[in-house]
Amino acid sequence: MKAKYINPFLEASINLFRDYLGIKVTNQSPRLLKDTSDLQEVSGIIGLAGDTSGAVVLSFSRDTAISIVGRFAGRSFNALTNDVLDGVGELVNIIAGNAKKDLSEFRIAISIPGVVVGDKYRIRWPDGIPVINIPFESELGGFSVNVSLKDAS
Amino acid sequence: MRVLIVDDSAVMRRIHRNVLIEHGINESDLVEAEDGQQALKAATVQQIELFLVDWNMPKLDGFQFVKKIRSLPQYAKTPIVMITSEAAKYNVVEAIQAGVTNYVVKPIRGDVLWQKLQPYVKPGGPA
Repeated sequence: MKAKYINPFLEASINLFRDYLGIKVTNQSPRLLKDTSDLQEVSGIIGLAGDTSGAVVLSFSRDTAISIVGRFAGRSFNALTNDVLDGVGELVNIIAGNAKKDLSEFRIAISIPGVVVGDKYRIRWPDGIPVINIPFESELGGFSVNVSLKDAS
Repeated sequence: MRVLIVDDSAVMRRIHRNVLIEHGINESDLVEAEDGQQALKAATVQQIELFLVDWNMPKLDGFQFVKKIRSLPQYAKTPIVMITSEAAKYNVVEAIQAGVTNYVVKPIRGDVLWQKLQPYVKPGGPA
């Protein structure tokens, strides 16, 4: 997968977490996710379809999901409530939708977000396409943005 | 004025709601719907004066909703502001062609959202 397909997701994430939510956040370099089930406990998932296909997964620990969605919603949460899960879905929706702006060579439709919670689960990633993992550190805990996107033919 | 907020995310609906209430819109004038189908029903039982509509929703998405609501004579000119994460140019063009009045890309700060909505609202009545 070409770097130019990853950068829009990285930039959309930085825009969301740092510029909009005001969270001190730093990212490491994107890298291959070797074990594609190696995600944290709470993941928001969006499917991409159209001229290309793929998926975007935003993955948090429980505590980080609660804190970050609290910042997003403008209120505090004490547990992984339905509103927190709803907020996780909305965050991944914003990242995927915003990234489309810089993927102008494709016409892409994004799915309704889904959210998974658990200690061990497996995402159905597109077959044969590597998953690129972008790890983030923040004052509210670590999280990652994971992208698998088919190259243009 | 009666405002219909259409978004499948309860968190987003609350964020929009808070912006409107902060700027003087009566809470009792705010109506919510989780998808386009619910929104169509709500708009047939009461006259809506401003729509805030997400794009990606189950059952009937915001784009299809706009086309349907614009086909109803009583909503031919009602302001519709689409508030969506969809940032591709072709999305903006298609939404405008379908009849949205203004297009706003999320995430958007409350004060900036209000600037976008202000031309269409006046506390207590339509602009």
